[in-house]
Amino acid sequence: MGIEWPTVVVVDNSPAIKKLFERSTRDLGIELLIFDSAADSWAYLNNAKPDLLILSIILPDKNGLTLLNDLRKLPLHKNTSVIMVSSKDYAQDRLAANELGVLDFIPKPMPMQTITDVIVKYTKAKTKSG
Amino acid sequence: MSNAYLRFWGVRGSHAAPFASHLNVGGNTSCVEIRVDDHILICDAGTGIIPFGNELIRQKDIRELLIILTHYHWDHVCGLPFFVPAFSPDWKVSFFGPGDDDDEIKKHVSAQMRAPYFPVGTESWLANIHYIPPHRDKLRHGPISIEYSNVHHPGSTYGYRMRVNGKTIIYISDNECNFIEKSVRQRRGELNEEEQILYDDMIQEEHQSELDLIENADILIHDAQYTPEDYEKKRGWGHSCYIDTINMAIDAGVKELYLYHHDPNYDDEAINVIYQHAEKIIKENNSSLKCHLAKEGMQIKI
Repeated sequence: MGIEWPTVVVVDNSPAIKKLFERSTRDLGIELLIFDSAADSWAYLNNAKPDLLILSIILPDKNGLTLLNDLRKLPLHKNTSVIMVSSKDYAQDRLAANELGVLDFIPKPMPMQTITDVIVKYTKAKTKSG
Repeated sequence: MSNAYLRFWGVRGSHAAPFASHLNVGGNTSCVEIRVDDHILICDAGTGIIPFGNELIRQKDIRELLIILTHYHWDHVCGLPFFVPAFSPDWKVSFFGPGDDDDEIKKHVSAQMRAPYFPVGTESWLANIHYIPPHRDKLRHGPISIEYSNVHHPGSTYGYRMRVNGKTIIYISDNECNFIEKSVRQRRGELNEEEQILYDDMIQEEHQSELDLIENADILIHDAQYTPEDYEKKRGWGHSCYIDTINMAIDAGVKELYLYHHDPNYDDEAINVIYQHAEKIIKENNSSLKCHLAKEGMQIKI
């Protein structure tokens, strides 16, 4: 029986950020899924609970905090682990994120190691070689 | 052709500035009227909506309007408790703004009108009040089509793109231009070469998305709150340095830019200095952009 890797879902429409996540997790034993929009992510999240959900705030179709609010209304996502990663690093957004139970708020730009560390911290993911 | 115009009822950001030294530009906070024949659209409900409401109540022909709110910070809603048409039973007043649904928009609009901050709540409004839920498609108000996008400002904040009489009017009262570029510049030392390349790509993406937001604007009304010196002190407050606003408008090929959401600490003279510099920037760039200061009472034919 194979090892089941933790699933990490990222919702961010920036191609550069997508590359950043892919590169910073290439050695981690995780299943990484990246969605460009709230609508695309909803099609997946409606039925699936990732081990960690990473959300940007400014998305093309919806505010990431609004998406999280919608998700929290689903019993499936009442306690889903969520981290916000956004350039929108304002106190009001941090407060709204806290009220929606996010575990961490990481302002862009962040070094790749920050991404690796936070994913390991909240999913207990191990390196592929390990 | 219909009778269409745009009028500035309030042009200040943050708080009202009813000082003699400020009144050539104007002291009321954000409020812009867009009128097409009998259709009235109001962008934001700062103190500027108070004199507008007083004018509306004196006329007999129109009894309906739509208020679109960029967000719910005080300078954008604080005129509502004194907006007379809302208290008049023969009026229909519709609201649209950020919110998950119509109940949340209602909650945000109503929140400032409660004890001990105000003696009566929105239940004392006698007009037919309607809250419009989020739309996937364009909103319409008579002949005016309205689209909205999230912009860079604390909390959920919208910028609006409107199509009126064949013209595109964009209203972005509160927006911090080039935020990620400045953040990357500030933290560049913490990033390795690979990260720097990726973040340079991200700066380009964000820049392009900011240009897309305002492209093809015949009229752009945009946040230009700070001088470079004040922006350095207030970076992260959600407002633009006027130089960034002008450069963005030039890059996007905007036809006419109205510098808006003026800082209440700037008197007429200080804002005129901003305008002179704006003209200089445009000339140095050989741009065809026409730049104006948004001034209270200014009316523009659309």
